[in-house]
Amino acid sequence: SSSITELLGTLCDCSLSGVSWKRRALGGVSKEGFRRALKRRAYDALLSKLFLDGSKVSSSGPSATAQTPPRNRVLMICFDLRVAGCREEAERLEDQLGRLPEEASSGLKEIDAVLELLVHLAGSAPPPSTSF
Amino acid sequence: MASAANANLNAVRETMDVLLEISRLLNTGLDLESLSICVRLCEQGINPEALSAVIKELRKASESLKTSENCTN
Repeated sequence: SSSITELLGTLCDCSLSGVSWKRRALGGVSKEGFRRALKRRAYDALLSKLFLDGSKVSSSGPSATAQTPPRNRVLMICFDLRVAGCREEAERLEDQLGRLPEEASSGLKEIDAVLELLVHLAGSAPPPSTSF
Repeated sequence: MASAANANLNAVRETMDVLLEISRLLNTGLDLESLSICVRLCEQGINPEALSAVIKELRKASESLKTSENCTN
């Protein structure tokens, strides 16, 4: 099992896939330098969120949405999809959620935390391009 | 002993398949490799909201790099 620092480093590498470094090296941007800058940004984002969470809790308390279990939040997304006319996607999502085992039988320790991450990232990628 | 380990491995594989499909339906932009790393980070106790902020930040940085690459081409 890898440490948090190793895993964050690998995550940075994943986000750099597809970048041509041969041409970049000529322009003075080295892969190692950019990787270091990327890791710094990753840690900044991680730590700023950590401190922001602490101040939020002390001033107003966690919001109702934040307290909703992630499985229910996925169901809320299913509802939104239906309202938006995407019935097929909503049904597929509900179906997959139903197939997701409880933590004890999943083989994973933090399945609800992963589901919460997916909810936070929902819709964050550009829509898939359609080819003709 | 070995069969218990195999059963656990199969359970992890099936769970990962379902998580990947949910991820795809939610349009999170995570591929299998990134999702696997995120699962392990969550298992190490990283807050999911903070991790989502990290992923968005990494995307912004790599997108700006790719955009500048396209401009110089």
